[in-house]
Amino acid sequence: MDNISKHNNAHEKLMQAIFFLSASVSVIAVIAICLFLFLRGFQAISEIGFSEFILNEKWGPTNVPPSYGILSMIVGSIYVTGGAIILGVPIGLLCAIFLAEFCPPNIYRIVKPAVNLLAGIPSIIYGFFGMQVVVPFVREYFGGNGFSIMSSSIILGIMILPTIITISESSLRSVPESYKEASFGLGATKEETVFRVVVHAAGSGILTSIILGIGRAAGETMAVVMVAGNSAMPLDKIELLRPIRTMTTNIVTEMSYASGLHQLSLIATGAVLFVFIVILNTALSLIKSKSARN
Amino acid sequence: MKKKKLFLVIIALFMVTSVFTGCSEDAEKSKATDFNYDRDITVAARDAASGTRGAFHEIMGIIQKEGDTEIDKLVTGALEFDTTDKVVTAVEGDKYGIGYISLGSVSSRIKAVSVDGVEPSVENVKSGEYKVSRPFILVTKGTETDLVKDFLSFVESKQGQDIAEEMNYISKIDEPAEYTSSGKSGTIKVAGSTSVTPLMEKWQEAYFKLNPDVVFEMQSNGSSQGITAAIDGSYDVGMSSRELKDDEASQLNRYVLAIDGIAVVVNNENPIDDLSSDVVTSIYTGEITKWPESK
Repeated sequence: MDNISKHNNAHEKLMQAIFFLSASVSVIAVIAICLFLFLRGFQAISEIGFSEFILNEKWGPTNVPPSYGILSMIVGSIYVTGGAIILGVPIGLLCAIFLAEFCPPNIYRIVKPAVNLLAGIPSIIYGFFGMQVVVPFVREYFGGNGFSIMSSSIILGIMILPTIITISESSLRSVPESYKEASFGLGATKEETVFRVVVHAAGSGILTSIILGIGRAAGETMAVVMVAGNSAMPLDKIELLRPIRTMTTNIVTEMSYASGLHQLSLIATGAVLFVFIVILNTALSLIKSKSARN
Repeated sequence: MKKKKLFLVIIALFMVTSVFTGCSEDAEKSKATDFNYDRDITVAARDAASGTRGAFHEIMGIIQKEGDTEIDKLVTGALEFDTTDKVVTAVEGDKYGIGYISLGSVSSRIKAVSVDGVEPSVENVKSGEYKVSRPFILVTKGTETDLVKDFLSFVESKQGQDIAEEMNYISKIDEPAEYTSSGKSGTIKVAGSTSVTPLMEKWQEAYFKLNPDVVFEMQSNGSSQGITAAIDGSYDVGMSSRELKDDEASQLNRYVLAIDGIAVVVNNENPIDDLSSDVVTSIYTGEITKWPESK
């Protein structure tokens, strides 16, 4: 008897250690990435100068003397992400409401797998689709050469749809039936109930979906690099139909050949992007916790 | 709230209809193939760290030097891609596009134009008539071991040059000799250009097959660094995808091993077949924004 319990004890200890190890992997990964980004990034930023790096719009790493300003890419990332949110959030949200509340089962059987499939498409395919279809479309009907903020926003808007639809839908579905019954009981129509009660009650879930969507859009690289054109534009030249360079595309276009300070400056760009996403997430979750308290 | 809902519905309807109308117009408009000289040129370039870009911008005078400063005057709004294939796809899809790629990557998807009346062909690059090309150079300090000399003779041999031509570079050596294995052993340290690196790797692979006792140490860190490393002796061989500067050339032995032509490419529907190098420069620096109508 004693032997068995001892054995069990050891077994349990072992499994605990394995579980703990599994749990720590993600934490260790985050810490390692942070250390790498900030140590290397700090090196670059201290060498270049903080304001010279963040607040300068001129990017010319191969010029003599070189200039390493990423302001236009920070602005580029914000515009492209904003565009994706403007396009993706209304469509995604309405789709989620439709799926959760109004959709007949036979249509649901088609729409839901389609949304899931959209989430599974690799980003390089989105990029290829963007380059071959969206870019010529924008060029033909809106002007410019097609590689633009608009094309990037369209592609990213589509890419964040599954995130927004899936999470919003499940949060809409988890609204207690009694809320709806109460609303119906007060004489509200189905539409009034959905838009005023259900959507409101699912608010924090919807906001979460938007946060994750923004994170995805801001961090997306492979698709954007194929449709954005990657020109580091001076701030006054940035337009909806002109090319743009985001922080992610800056890293991916130049990393393969860069060396020395140029390479470090790209890592620093990554650090800025990281901070950018952390700020974004914190700001939105603050809003979320505030709205939850109210 | 009612208004908000209505607003959202209108936006959704607008989006859906705009997508559909777009599709139907698409079919009609694509029939028009006339080349519109009023449209802006779409300038496609490579990323700032690319060796192709460095060489092309230097040859074409897009990089302008004033005293100690060196500024890349690439026009604002030029597309920058990290691979040759993306340049090809961009130019293929845009009637008004222009780009530059390695001669070996030219295909029927795009049209390589003549520069100053010279067609970008292997022969013209070899003879030096086609100016837009860059040499792939290996440099040594002149104090190298027999082993390094043997490796260089392999690179210059028929086997070595065949490898270069297989990779679509242009052999610069006339009637290369046959290489026979020397059976030497030791370490060869190579550093330099990232553009030459793929070719160097193939050479090392083939050389290693013939001389299995040789070990290579390789660092791919850019032409300038490779040249510096060869000068200070920390590496045996430096790789460069650009010409040597005078002060560098005086300290080094220089072996031109292959030439990489850079082709100026335009869309297949572009009626232009020949551009002067001045026009190419003006397009890339933004002095010209529309295709010139004559020729």
